[in-house]
Amino acid sequence: MVKPSKWGKPLLGDVLVIIFALLFVAYLFKSLWHNEQAAKLQIRLGDKIYATYSLDQNRDINIQGPIGVTRIEIANGKARFASSPCPNQYCVHQGWLNHKGHAAICLPNQVSMELLGGKKPFDSLNY
Amino acid sequence: MRLLVLIFALFLSACGKESLVQTKSYVFGTLVDISIYGETEDKAHEVTSHILQDFQRLHHQYHAWQSDSELSTLNKRFAAGKTPVEMSPELTQMLTQAQTLSKQSQGLFNPAIGGLISIWGFQRDEFTPVEINDVAIQKLVQANPQMSDIVIKNNTAYSTNSTVKLDLGGYAKGYALDLAITELQKQGVKNALVNIGGNIIALGQHGDKPWRVGIQHPRQPKPMATLDLPSGWAVGTSGDYQRYFEQAGKRYCHIIDPRNGYPALGTQAVTVLIAPSPQAGVLSDVASKPIFLSAPDQRAMAAKAMGVEHYLVVDAESNIRLSASMSGRVHWLTKPKKIAVQ
Amino acid sequence: MTQPSKNKRIEIQTTSDDHHIAKLAAFAIGLHLLEAALPSPLPGVKPGLANIITLFVLYRFDFATAAWVSLLRVFASSLLLGNFLSPTFALSLSGALLSLAALCFAQYLPRRYFSAVTLSLLAAFAHMTGQLLVVRVWLIPNAGVAYLIPIFMVAALVFGVANGLLTNYLLRINPVRLDEDKG
Repeated sequence: MVKPSKWGKPLLGDVLVIIFALLFVAYLFKSLWHNEQAAKLQIRLGDKIYATYSLDQNRDINIQGPIGVTRIEIANGKARFASSPCPNQYCVHQGWLNHKGHAAICLPNQVSMELLGGKKPFDSLNY
Repeated sequence: MRLLVLIFALFLSACGKESLVQTKSYVFGTLVDISIYGETEDKAHEVTSHILQDFQRLHHQYHAWQSDSELSTLNKRFAAGKTPVEMSPELTQMLTQAQTLSKQSQGLFNPAIGGLISIWGFQRDEFTPVEINDVAIQKLVQANPQMSDIVIKNNTAYSTNSTVKLDLGGYAKGYALDLAITELQKQGVKNALVNIGGNIIALGQHGDKPWRVGIQHPRQPKPMATLDLPSGWAVGTSGDYQRYFEQAGKRYCHIIDPRNGYPALGTQAVTVLIAPSPQAGVLSDVASKPIFLSAPDQRAMAAKAMGVEHYLVVDAESNIRLSASMSGRVHWLTKPKKIAVQ
Repeated sequence: MTQPSKNKRIEIQTTSDDHHIAKLAAFAIGLHLLEAALPSPLPGVKPGLANIITLFVLYRFDFATAAWVSLLRVFASSLLLGNFLSPTFALSLSGALLSLAALCFAQYLPRRYFSAVTLSLLAAFAHMTGQLLVVRVWLIPNAGVAYLIPIFMVAALVFGVANGLLTNYLLRINPVRLDEDKG
């Protein structure tokens, strides 16, 4: 009788499972390693960059502008103007920004914010 | 977490060094964004601040409601009588150009209706609902202030209609764009992108690819499409989401229809793409308005009258209509529910 | 069979199976301690050699015994290392529990087509999932963990297959001996 090798020969089921596992891991890379997700929020006051924050946190930021205090809220990987002293509240109505390139601005208080993260899909926004 | 740092570092080094200098500033009552590529930081900053200073000057000299601007002074003299008023050569050139464009647009582009704009409260920095004074509005519509009422000769001007009140809001940004390009070229800059309150003009390219602009969605805080801007091309959008107020559930935007004195309805946004020319910037500002104000079946004609081949309209129901040549250039980020190509 | 005797000595009857299992359990703890002592290039990525023992016990005995050995290993190792009830312990326990759950089902796969490699691979993925859950929910509660998941899963794949192959080898060189006293 031929003595079988100590490792045995590869079984069909094993091979299939390994292949599926490889496909699964490839899928994980594809779906989790996308750089669509914005990672950072850049806030500007007037001409200058006021601060840059990671979106991986929950925090409120109060910015003193020419007409008062604008409050920006970061939560769950998104950011928004929570409150602002401007009369029209356009900035607050923009709601949550959550993808890179998204930006919102409070013109009267000269506060603007933009989501950075990886490559921007465009150089400037027409509106 | 150490792994994340490692990966991040690898990504960063792979990106390579880019000589892009971007400056954002609050001028012209709006956000100005100038990107210069391929120049040293010092040169870029020098040229940018020169251009921003020009913008400041334009802003103050041709301010529509600040009483000490050259434009306001002219307006007061127009209202007072028919004595010719001396103007700067720049203003003469601007008004002459505006007259031509107004005629081209069959009066839909009408910078002489400053009175109407004021009645609606849009000659202020912020907009709150106003009491709609229909009597005053009708009076002005009847008086029919037009650019053609202005007689320009030898750097002087007077108006045959005392209700003419110039407001260059739909023109000045475009003019500033053309000015910026001239200045950039004069300074030897080869590649730049100038954005004044959303109106953009391009010079050269962003490295090895053309400058690319995003087009804002009229109702959501994100871009709905992107568009490449080759060298010399300009893009402008008139929208009901830029300056407006809401009253009794209705939106009143800053684009007034000179024919009835009321803000335009029926359109959310019009984007025009202008081919290179010495007045590409001006056209990108001016040409969107006649299309915005036109009824749906008149829009194509209005575009043609302004010499605009590439345009995109978002109507009140969020449907998209665009010219055939425009549809080939627009790259949608969120596919809209209805697109019609004409 | 011995009646409980009238004198004060109490004897616990052990079979030779018990001896084998005890040896294997000790071996598992030893392997775990050894791995804990060695530095790993990536925090949280270890070959998990002790899992070979778990699988071996599953094949040679039954699931209940394998579960026992595995959990004993987790508790004993953490007590010996001094990290009982610490985050490390939580990671170890959650990994062990989920991989046992996977084995509970995987053990019924037909042996004709699926060897220990499959079981090891499935158990390794389950193990990694259990640990990542603890990390995401308790230890590092933010979305950044998403970037680590694919990397850890690759490690699970590689070590899962390797451990499975080793288990196959061990099973072959330690065949079941029919003349053993199973008591």
